[in-house]
Amino acid sequence: MPNLPNDRQNNLVNFCRHHQPLPPEAPFDFEQKIIDSLESHPQQRKLGFHFNSRWTIPGALATGFLFTSMSFALKTPRIALEPKDLETFLVKNWYDTLDSNSYKYTVMQNNEEYWLLQTTSESALSFAPQ
Amino acid sequence: MGKILACEQAIETDAESATKEITEKELIFLCQQGDRDCFRILYQRYQQRVRSTLYQLCGSALLDDLVQEVFLKAWKGLPQLKTAQYFSTWLYRISWNVATDQRRKLAKGADKTGLNAQTWEKEILEYSKSHQVETAPDLMQLHYQDLVQRGLNNLSFEHRAVLVLHDLEDLPQKQVAEVLNVPVGTVKSRLFHARNSLKTFLEQQGISL
Repeated sequence: MPNLPNDRQNNLVNFCRHHQPLPPEAPFDFEQKIIDSLESHPQQRKLGFHFNSRWTIPGALATGFLFTSMSFALKTPRIALEPKDLETFLVKNWYDTLDSNSYKYTVMQNNEEYWLLQTTSESALSFAPQ
Repeated sequence: MGKILACEQAIETDAESATKEITEKELIFLCQQGDRDCFRILYQRYQQRVRSTLYQLCGSALLDDLVQEVFLKAWKGLPQLKTAQYFSTWLYRISWNVATDQRRKLAKGADKTGLNAQTWEKEILEYSKSHQVETAPDLMQLHYQDLVQRGLNNLSFEHRAVLVLHDLEDLPQKQVAEVLNVPVGTVKSRLFHARNSLKTFLEQQGISL
């Protein structure tokens, strides 16, 4: 179907506007009837908290960030005060990484002094000029 | 208290305006506060457009009921209208929704009055005849009105809505898209097909445009 040229479109639109069927007139008391009926139709007021979808995503991101930050803040790092605690922690983690079915390791009750790394060796830290 | 403040604000704004006429924004603001007198003014401003649109879409059988439904829905929903400048679009949209609901009721045969599309066309023709008898102004004018009405009836409901809103109610395409909740491209497409269909129908009836 060919497209109508602009002047022919205008002719059609003008014809329709000029000859469009007009609606019947409203009854005499129709306006007052509508105004009177407003009494039985209360307006829908806004709630105190108005949910705005525009802030949904930023709000969710901020809340998630807040909870994550708080959870990290609450997780204080454990500090081994005794060398024995540190050693037990390391050994336990080491065993956890291995398959418990293939090997059976037992935690030795007595620690050997030479197992512990010398982290604060005075000889290593100190500098003695020759 | 809020209503008094709103009235005072409107009066102050009104005093500043040169025309001394209450603007639509103020009217809507006062209606949102529950002012029925202001709603009456809104009704007077818009009833003809709503009435005409509903008549083109649904006929005259239940026209008064549909118009009343539109304005009651507008009254109830006004407090939730955020932007006053969109009131016109919003009201047309309510009209479109009411017309669509009525159309569905007719299609399902759920309407208690037993109306259907054929009944609507019949009563429109009867109205045209009665109008002709009452006024008897110009036979050609009545003939053309009848042709336009029949041409509109030949269109699908969606195509007719676009043609009525754009060509008869003179709404821009963007506003028509907002009223019908479709993209502007869809409005253009429907308008193109609707005009061509109407033109073909009118040509078949001996009207050359």
